[in-house]
Amino acid sequence: MSLESLQDLWLTYQSTVAFIGLNGLLALSVYTTLSCGQLSLAQAAFMAIGAYASAILTFHSGLPFAVNLAAATLLPALVAVPLGLPVLRLKGVFLAIATIGFGEVVRIFFVNLDYTNGALGLTAVPQRTSIWMIYAALSAALFVLWRIRGSRAGYALEAIREDEPAARTMGIHAARYKLAMLALGASFAGLAGALEAHYTYMVSPSTYSFTRVVDMLVYAVVGGTSVFYGPVVGATFLTALPEILREISARVGLAPGPLRLFVNGAVLLLVILFLPEGISSLPRRVRAWLRSRREAHAA
Amino acid sequence: MFASVRSLAATAVALLALPTLSAAETVKIGAAFSLTGNAAAYGAQQKAGVQAAIDDVNKSGKLKGITLELVLEDDATSKEQGIAVFQRFINRDKVSAIIGPTLSTTATAADPLAQQARTPVVPVSNTAPKGITDIGDYVWRVSLTEAQVIPSALKVAQAKIGFKNAAILYGNDDAFTKGGFDVMKASLEAAGIPIVDIQTFATKDRDFNAQLTALKAKNPDFLMVSALVEQAAAIVSQARQLGWNVPIMGGNGFNSPKLMANAGPAAEGVMVGTAWNKASADPVNQAFIAGQKARGNDPDQFCAQAYTGVLVIADAIAQAGMKGGREDIKAGFAKVKDLPTPLGKFSFLPSRDGNHAAAVQVVKNGKFEILQ
Repeated sequence: MSLESLQDLWLTYQSTVAFIGLNGLLALSVYTTLSCGQLSLAQAAFMAIGAYASAILTFHSGLPFAVNLAAATLLPALVAVPLGLPVLRLKGVFLAIATIGFGEVVRIFFVNLDYTNGALGLTAVPQRTSIWMIYAALSAALFVLWRIRGSRAGYALEAIREDEPAARTMGIHAARYKLAMLALGASFAGLAGALEAHYTYMVSPSTYSFTRVVDMLVYAVVGGTSVFYGPVVGATFLTALPEILREISARVGLAPGPLRLFVNGAVLLLVILFLPEGISSLPRRVRAWLRSRREAHAA
Repeated sequence: MFASVRSLAATAVALLALPTLSAAETVKIGAAFSLTGNAAAYGAQQKAGVQAAIDDVNKSGKLKGITLELVLEDDATSKEQGIAVFQRFINRDKVSAIIGPTLSTTATAADPLAQQARTPVVPVSNTAPKGITDIGDYVWRVSLTEAQVIPSALKVAQAKIGFKNAAILYGNDDAFTKGGFDVMKASLEAAGIPIVDIQTFATKDRDFNAQLTALKAKNPDFLMVSALVEQAAAIVSQARQLGWNVPIMGGNGFNSPKLMANAGPAAEGVMVGTAWNKASADPVNQAFIAGQKARGNDPDQFCAQAYTGVLVIADAIAQAGMKGGREDIKAGFAKVKDLPTPLGKFSFLPSRDGNHAAAVQVVKNGKFEILQ
C-alpha cells in the first residue's frame, strides 16, 4: 500500500476516529455515576455547559486553549455539586427523572439566551481540537477510572452500588462518594463538550437534547458496565458501525438509504440479545466456551 | 479479542486500499443528503433531483466528452455523519464538487472541511441567512435564503390582501424556525407594518390553542408562522378550529405537500414564499417537471433546487473551458450568468448566494398554486 493511499484513508476516517474518542469520553461520563449505582441523565447538560463555556472563552478572551479546556472541565463539576446535594437523595427512577429535568432546564436556558444566539447557537467556532487532544483526554479519564478501581475508594463505590445501607453501616460516607462521582462524570462530559465544539465548528442547544444522553447510555450498556473500559468499547462499536456499513454498501453497490439504518439496528439488537453483559464480555465468553469444549473433548 | 480486532482492522485496511479508477473524462460530483432521519422527506426529493439532472446533462452533450458521475451518500440528518460523508467525498471519492448537505446545521459543521480542502460546495437547501456562505470562498449557494424569499413574498401578499398590521408565531428552540422568525420580523419592520403580537412555542408542542387564542384576541390582519412542517399543519388546523380565518403565511417549513396531507381542508388559502415557481411556462421548467413525472416523482421546491445545483456545476465546468477540476469549477461559478434553470434565470450574487426570482404559492384545492 502506498503512503499516499494510507494518508487518504486516514483523512477519510479521521472524523470517525475523533468521534469514537469523543463518544468514548461521554460514555465514560455516564459510567462514572453508574459505577456507584446512580443513573444520572444530566450528562448532556454538563456537556452543554462545557461546550458553551469554552466557546464563549474562545470568542471573548485570548486565553490559551488548554486553559479554556480546563475551565470547561471544572465548571460542570462546580455546577454538579449544588445539583447533587439535593438530587442524590433520590434513587433509581426518581433520580433519573430529576436529572432529565435538569438537562431540559439547561437546554431551554441556552435556547432563550440571546447572548449565544438562542436556538441558532454559536457558529464559526474556530477548530482548535486535534485528535491527539481527544485521545489524551480519553486516556486521562481511563487512567483515573483504572486507578480508582481496586483502591479504597473503588471498593467503597462497589459497596455502595451493591447495597447502599450496608455500605453506610460499614462507615462508608455514601453521599460524599456519590457526589464526587457525579462531579467527576460532569467534568468528563464538559471536557468532551468543549472538544466537540472546537472540532465541529459549532455549539447549538439541539445538540444537547435528551436523545444525546440516551446515546451515551446506549454506548455504556452495549459496551458493558462491568469493566471500566466497557463503555469505550461500546462507543467505538456504535460510532464505527454506520461508517463500516457505509463502506460495505458502497462496495456492494447498494443505494444509500434506510437499509443501512436497518442493518445498524439489527446488529445492535443481536449484540444486546446475545451479549447482555456488553461487548466487553465477549473475550471472557469465548474463553469459557473454548474451555467447555476442551473439557468435553477430554471427557 | 485484540487479535480479532487487529485482523478485522487489517481486512478493513486491505479493502479500502484498492485503487480508485478515474478516467480523465469523468467528473465526480458528491451529493450528501438526509435520506434517513428527521429531514428524510426533503432528502428523497433532492436525490430525485440530482439523479435526473446528472442524466440530463450527460445526455445533452453540453460538456463535450466530460461525463458527470454522481456519488450519493446519506448523512442520516446527523452532524457527525455529515462530517464523515464530506471527508469521504474529499479524500476517498475525490469528487470535484459537493452538493448538500440538506440542513443548515449540518452544513455549519461540514462545509468548513470542504473549504479547508479547497473543494467547491453547492448548498441547494440551506436557507439560513448567516453562516453558510460566510464559511468561505468555496461555498456557492444555489438556494435562496429566507431573507431573499420572505420580503418579496410579503410584498406580493400585501398587494393582494392589503393588511395593515400583522402578528408572528414561531418555534423558538429550533435554529431553522428561529432564523425564519428573525427574517419575518425584520421584513415586517422594513415594510412599515406594525407587529401587534409575537407568540412562541417549542418543537415538541402539539397544542397551540393558548398561543392562537392570545393572538386572536389582538385581532391582527395577517399572521406569519415560522414552523417545521409537522407543527405547521397542527397550527393551521387549530387556528381554523378556533373559527379564526386570518390569512396565514408560512416560512420555508411550510414548503411541503405534507402540509396539505396533514391539515386537509384547513390548509386552504395558506400562503408560502417559494424559490421555485412551479407554474412557470419556461421550457426548462416544463421539461424538468415532465422528466420528474416520467420518473414517477411529483417534484417540489427541494427537487428543483437540487436539479439546479447540478446544472450550475455543469455550467461552471463549461465556463472554465471544459475543465472539471476543483479550482476550475470554483473559478467557473463566478462566470455563471443568467443560466436557464427550472428556478428561472440563475446567477450568483457577489456574496456567492444564488439570485433568481422568488414566487408566492397559495394552497388551493389541496395543491400549491402560484399566486399571480
